[in-house]
Amino acid sequence: MAAINESRPGLKEPYNLSPRIGWLRDYYFKGTDRKWNNEFTAWTTGTPWDVCFQEMTYYIVPEVYFLMQALRGSYRQGAREVPLDADFWNWSLPERRAWFVRKVMVDMVPQEILPGDLVCGARFNIQTSLCLNRDEAAEYDRLLIGPNGARATMKRFHDHGYGNSGATSGHLVPGYERMLKIGWRGIHQEIEGHYQALSPEDKAGPRGCQLRAMMTAATMPRDVGVKYAARCRELAAVEPDEGRRAELAAMASNLDHVPWEPPTTFWQALQALWLGHMLVMSDENYPGPGVSFGRFDQYMLPYWQRSIAEGMDREFGKELLKCFWVHCNTAYDAQIRSGNQGITAGFGQLITLSGMGADGRDMTNDFTYAVLEVIDEMSPILEPKPNVRLHRGTPPELMDKIVQMISDSQGAPFLLNFDERSMAGMLRQAELAGMKDRINLDNVHEYAPVGCLENTMVGNDRSGTVDNNLNLVKAVELAINGGRDLLPYVDQITGVAEPVTQDGPDTGDATTFSDFEEFWAAYERQTAYIIDRCASTYEASESVRARFFQTPYLSCLVAGCAEKGRDINQGAAEINLTTLEAVTFATTVDSLLAVKYLVFDRKICTMGKLIDALRANWAGHEVLQAQARNKAPKYGRDDDEADAMAVRVMNLWCDGAWKHVTKSTGRRFRPGMLSWNYWAGDGYVVVATPDGRPRGQFLSNAICPSNGADINGPTSNSNSVGKALGGKSEDQVGNYRGYVNLLPNGASHTITFHPAVIQDPEHCEKFKSFLHGYMENGGTALQINILDPDMLRMAQKHPQDYRHLLVRVTGYNAYFVSIGRELQNEVIARMSHQRF
Amino acid sequence: MKDGLVLEIQRMSTEDGPGLRTTVFLKGCPLRCSWCHNPESISPQPELQWIPVRCIECGTCVGFCSRGALSRGVEGVVIDRGACAGCGACADACPTNALEIWGRRMTAQALVREVAKDAAYFSRSGGGVTLSGGEATAQSEFCMDVLRGLRASGLNTALDTCGLCRPETLQAMLPLCDVVLYDVKMIDSNLHRQFCGASNEVILENLRLVASAVVGSAGATSLWVRTPLIPGATATIDNMKAVGGFLATLPPGSVSRWDLCAFNHLGRDKYVRLGIDWLYRDMPLMTAAELDAMKAAAQSSGVDPAIVRTSGATRLQE
Repeated sequence: MAAINESRPGLKEPYNLSPRIGWLRDYYFKGTDRKWNNEFTAWTTGTPWDVCFQEMTYYIVPEVYFLMQALRGSYRQGAREVPLDADFWNWSLPERRAWFVRKVMVDMVPQEILPGDLVCGARFNIQTSLCLNRDEAAEYDRLLIGPNGARATMKRFHDHGYGNSGATSGHLVPGYERMLKIGWRGIHQEIEGHYQALSPEDKAGPRGCQLRAMMTAATMPRDVGVKYAARCRELAAVEPDEGRRAELAAMASNLDHVPWEPPTTFWQALQALWLGHMLVMSDENYPGPGVSFGRFDQYMLPYWQRSIAEGMDREFGKELLKCFWVHCNTAYDAQIRSGNQGITAGFGQLITLSGMGADGRDMTNDFTYAVLEVIDEMSPILEPKPNVRLHRGTPPELMDKIVQMISDSQGAPFLLNFDERSMAGMLRQAELAGMKDRINLDNVHEYAPVGCLENTMVGNDRSGTVDNNLNLVKAVELAINGGRDLLPYVDQITGVAEPVTQDGPDTGDATTFSDFEEFWAAYERQTAYIIDRCASTYEASESVRARFFQTPYLSCLVAGCAEKGRDINQGAAEINLTTLEAVTFATTVDSLLAVKYLVFDRKICTMGKLIDALRANWAGHEVLQAQARNKAPKYGRDDDEADAMAVRVMNLWCDGAWKHVTKSTGRRFRPGMLSWNYWAGDGYVVVATPDGRPRGQFLSNAICPSNGADINGPTSNSNSVGKALGGKSEDQVGNYRGYVNLLPNGASHTITFHPAVIQDPEHCEKFKSFLHGYMENGGTALQINILDPDMLRMAQKHPQDYRHLLVRVTGYNAYFVSIGRELQNEVIARMSHQRF
Repeated sequence: MKDGLVLEIQRMSTEDGPGLRTTVFLKGCPLRCSWCHNPESISPQPELQWIPVRCIECGTCVGFCSRGALSRGVEGVVIDRGACAGCGACADACPTNALEIWGRRMTAQALVREVAKDAAYFSRSGGGVTLSGGEATAQSEFCMDVLRGLRASGLNTALDTCGLCRPETLQAMLPLCDVVLYDVKMIDSNLHRQFCGASNEVILENLRLVASAVVGSAGATSLWVRTPLIPGATATIDNMKAVGGFLATLPPGSVSRWDLCAFNHLGRDKYVRLGIDWLYRDMPLMTAAELDAMKAAAQSSGVDPAIVRTSGATRLQE
């Protein structure tokens, strides 16, 4: 261990791990070398038309487009047949599905317990039959993979640079708090109550079918628990070690009680939570992404306090949590052989910590700190991903702990969520989507982020937070070329070019525009068009999922489904929205600023010349490109004039988003900015943009300024972000204490700091001051990265993209790219040695 | 109101006074310290620089200058400093900003408005705005307008000074400052003249003035002394003892910090861009042991050892 520290100082190492946890953690990181893993297993009804791969959930993952049919084929090929109930094919689709998933999890998948593990529930990644009969399968295929099916529709959308869209699983906080409070017996009883209240006609109709399916699903955790209890006893019977024997006995007796009955101890609560959670991933056939725990340190607190009071050692409580942590990471095993990239690189089972309670009081407690300790001692580890909610009333002790962890880990092992700005967004959503009965000043503090940072309410909210990812800059391209792509789409494999067609509205020949407002008018119409097209692309998969893929188990955990007798995938959640996540925000704003500056304000070039340059990907137009990059104003510098354009763009597309509702499921679109990794990959799809970016260079990430544009440092960057979100105003709809947030979903914001900003206690105090300033002026969420030598090496290679990079030597700052090579090398060497 | 010549506004500054701050570097300095690591801040006139890494050799600038100050040499753009008036027209025209002007005129009002944008980040750490240089007292009229504006906005103010100015100037500015950062380079007046281009009597006298103002509540509430550690110049045991000895004669409690700032060479390329051959071009950084020795000497010089701090990079050693 010491040797590793010496060779790579600054690399965070786990600490304070018991031999048990050390082993489990090391074992996990052996990856494909493990004998045991949680790789997908596939299960079929055995029909020749069966489908064991729900592909729509991957429509937002361009990396797998080429493999779609192959995955579908191979899961079916490798699927094991499940013996069906004699009546199986007489049941409704949701009932078939509920029965099938339960059958697989209870009787087909083995119950396994890793050595020393204290929490049961190991193998849960499954691909189950869609349980379609022949007619249903034919209809499903027609709608999905036919020439104008959902798959072709979404692929066209992506190929032409619009982004991606698809009905995706996960991304919500299931009603775990209630699940623990009343147990699955309580949930089952409630569903049964709803069922019994139905008229005979309704019982025979779709509502009856759905509620029967949900009752079946509600017994799945009970039956899986029984199986695991038996497994614990089998292992205990042959266990030579007395201590371990006692643990297995305790685990078995926990499972005699939970998850069917409500837990009484912390251990039971954690066990029940894990089973309840992992089965959501089984039910959706989709591990991890965005199935989040919500305010873990609030609803688990009573169990923690009770067990501590009853004599549980605090360190043992943390030991249980660490087992839980390892379990969350096994979600990644699903596609373990493809390595950690793209969708498999970050799943986002979020744990929310701290934050406001009613009346703005702070909710930090002993358990919050216990969880932070676990994160610190376990990290680096990917899951579960902690989001720490900060607000004006966050106690200094928590701020200290957070900054210390950022400093020790050389980067934040959690995301920071900012309550005031976030809650303003939720309140605005309540107004604009007409849901003030569900979100209001009395409960808005109960919000929690899912996936990465997407704010939702808990236990009754599905907001499709990753379902629609729209490249706003496509509207600039269309405005420049009268509603037509600037360049023909060329098939990557055949090399065949498609003719350019009139896709967007004909907004006229941009070379005849006499002022910027004329251009803006065209941009406005094209923006309406791309949002409309995104909504219709989404409808294609959303409607198929609603009809052919129900998740009755998950529906048990989301308020609204039992009451309505309808599946969550059919739009039954009380808060039933989908989110339009804008990608390329800064690229769009900067492009509009560049058009205004180059063509209209300074008349540096004509529109025709600009179009020529974009078509040529700037080749032969390097001077103009340099002017676009360096002379035109940019968003992200706290330049009020440039940021005004950001606000204008933001208002336009947000207003556009709110206008749309899915036809099949009644989900209103709300705006957000996540942009995940698309800003990198789509950089190769989207043509050159007027801000000077050539095709092949990254687009801007979420709400962040364009690469290299934030030359005035982190505070100006943050101020621009806050302004773009709406700033502060008491007059705006849904403001919270003057904070305005146009993006209820929230916006991803990453800032990379020089390690010197947290090098010692004095600097940590100053860094805390920055965070307090961010609370006032910044965005909804902040990812703090710390500069590392690799990034500096990248900056040496691509100085243009790193103009903003400041290196700090105590008492002195300099732009890295403008200090000669020799000094650059020394700065890199110093950073490698943690010497600033 | 008078314009000021501002070199740079550096936000989220962590090294120029208490808390998180914005540091305003003003252009023009009465000293000529041979080690100066901000040589572009010395001249009280705007100056043109050429940054090779940004240049795409488009040639826009050559022939653009009406005074013929720009030409193309073997290693890129050559600036004839005798001919250049620092008007900045070529910098405006340069597509890549490879040509840049050091120093821009700003009104006090515009400057205050600009730095007040970060007010939210200052408050929790006692941070604020630092006027630095160059030398802020060399633009005292402008700086006083700025300080008054900052005060009116409720912002904490700091003055970072080399101390070479008329005492009346300091006396006028002190009531507008919360913190004074005061450079004391060396005590031996001859050496001071030799290395910094001026003797230090006024500087030391002014320091007494500031120190009594601080304890007498006639101005700033705290005084931080800073000494750059320059090998072969200020970084000697004798000088540490002498500076400390002098500080020890100031009213007790007047100096709350004495920072020893290790020599750094990050300004090397600025000299190249100014076309100046820098005396310290090849000077290595201090070793950690040397820095420790300076600290020890400072701590045993008669000052309260707790006020002595060191900062800055030291030499990487295998």
